[in-house]
Amino acid sequence: MKRVFGARGAAAAVVVVAGGAAAIVGVGVFGAHGAAPRTGPLSVHAGLKKPPGAVVRGTTLVDEKGARSELGASVSGSMMGPLAPVAVRSTDGKLIAYNTWQELRPVDADKSFSAQGIEKGAALGVPSLRIHDDQGQDFLLARGAYSAAWRHDGAIAFVQGVDPVFRASAAYDGQVVVRRGVHGRDVTWMSARAHYVVYAWAGDRLLFYRIGLGEKTELLVADAPGKIRSLAEGTAIAVSPDAARVAILSEDATSVRVLDIASGREQSWIDVTIATPALRWVAYSGSWVGDHIVAPASAGLAVFQVGPGSLTLEQVLSLDQAQFPAGVQEPRFVDNAGNEIAASADVPPANGNNGVSFLLQCDRVVRTCERTDAAPAKEWLRQVDDTATEEGGQW
Amino acid sequence: MNVRGAIAGVLAVTALAIPANASAYRTWFEFTRQSNISSPLTIASDYGGGYISTQTWRAGSGTSTDACWVSHGWLPTGWYDMWGHWDYYDGTIKGRVFYLSNKPCWNGTWRSALFIHSEETAAQGQYCPTAYDDPYCWEGAGDYYSNGCIKVSRAGNPSDLRLVHGGWHSRSGDYRHGSFGIGNFLYVRDY
Repeated sequence: MKRVFGARGAAAAVVVVAGGAAAIVGVGVFGAHGAAPRTGPLSVHAGLKKPPGAVVRGTTLVDEKGARSELGASVSGSMMGPLAPVAVRSTDGKLIAYNTWQELRPVDADKSFSAQGIEKGAALGVPSLRIHDDQGQDFLLARGAYSAAWRHDGAIAFVQGVDPVFRASAAYDGQVVVRRGVHGRDVTWMSARAHYVVYAWAGDRLLFYRIGLGEKTELLVADAPGKIRSLAEGTAIAVSPDAARVAILSEDATSVRVLDIASGREQSWIDVTIATPALRWVAYSGSWVGDHIVAPASAGLAVFQVGPGSLTLEQVLSLDQAQFPAGVQEPRFVDNAGNEIAASADVPPANGNNGVSFLLQCDRVVRTCERTDAAPAKEWLRQVDDTATEEGGQW
Repeated sequence: MNVRGAIAGVLAVTALAIPANASAYRTWFEFTRQSNISSPLTIASDYGGGYISTQTWRAGSGTSTDACWVSHGWLPTGWYDMWGHWDYYDGTIKGRVFYLSNKPCWNGTWRSALFIHSEETAAQGQYCPTAYDDPYCWEGAGDYYSNGCIKVSRAGNPSDLRLVHGGWHSRSGDYRHGSFGIGNFLYVRDY
């Protein structure tokens, strides 16, 4: 769903949102194919030649029209995994910010640091954020930085490392900064040094994680520079289209809450382990369109319906565990009706084969998916996140 | 690589391994990933002459089996150094803990600040104020789930945590606590 009302008045926006939501409810219930989405297995077939929207892979960007362009460096989400997208498009659609990793020395993941002569504190690499514009220009946004999110006015938030170099040491501490435009100056929004990941803007509020010992995650909200409050322990599944609410996943990954971001108040809640059908877990980084939320789940995908004061598990789409043993990540609705879902699927190394990634595009009504060809997992085949142009970026 | 197969690699690496007790034996852990809530954690000691003594406990790691999923998947395979050991740690993780070195997973994502630990208070007690899942109370099998750390049970007497902790000290002869390094402390492999 592309942004439809830009920076018009709030009243007009409310009217449009209400109308849009009503239309989406209708389509969501009955489905674009005239059938209601039902729980069941997904049938996945090869043959997806052009994923919906833009994608990145290695040093290549393929835009929504299929045009390829060369990036200035390889994309990599090495600093945050799926906690935040590796590539994000600006609200005006002209810029893509993407994460990169400059290796300063090779690390053999099967060996310990000591066995490789890597002493504690040794320099291993440098994460950086780069910008690729619609004219093909590619330039460094910030060195020692990662996890970007665009605000509606073109400002960009990210984590700036205190020391740009990632070292073989306890933590990569940083600060959360916001740059007003790609050539503007940085304003520190979170000055306390810690391990952070920027998640998304919700209107003018910035959501970001603080990662603690044992990778414990806390979702923080910044109302303004220095005005930081804890929203919840756990992770975020998605920000609502009106940017007022966020779906939060509990630390143990078994319950989902919808919180009002301004007040922190809980609006609805569900324990997926006792839902029908029951799920062992749900994961973070999903998508919210209309009154539907999609999230990765132990079975494959979980689709929730958000009502006034209610949250229900509408559909579970299961994946063949032999084909996709690690399930899917970062599922996103790619149509206005909330029936089409695109997601990444990583397959871990096995039997001497390296890990690979696919992109899937699924129709949740007929429960079929098409997948791309496999790409080496280290090339980070991922969708470019368009959230700033559609969901939480609008207000 | 199994326990015996690991010997050559272990012996080849002496960096950081400085047991406080010269009569101690080279000791390390192995975690064999089988499921998130039931995977064997084995302590192994090389007594020389090809004799490896082991003891194994049930352990868990992560919520999913994707090691590249930060704060969700089990920990990546490979050898880890240990960066510290505390008996009364008082962070978000508490009590008896072994702090593991960072590790990249198979797509390059860094996993960090992972431990071997359980659910107990900084004073090594149990704090169970609610009928729900309390973070410093071992309620049952669901507590083996983690964001990536290896967790062992704190139930029973002696608990598995106590045996793991005591086994480390008695076998290795290393009674140090605090921030220090042990090379090749843990090997994580697939079943």
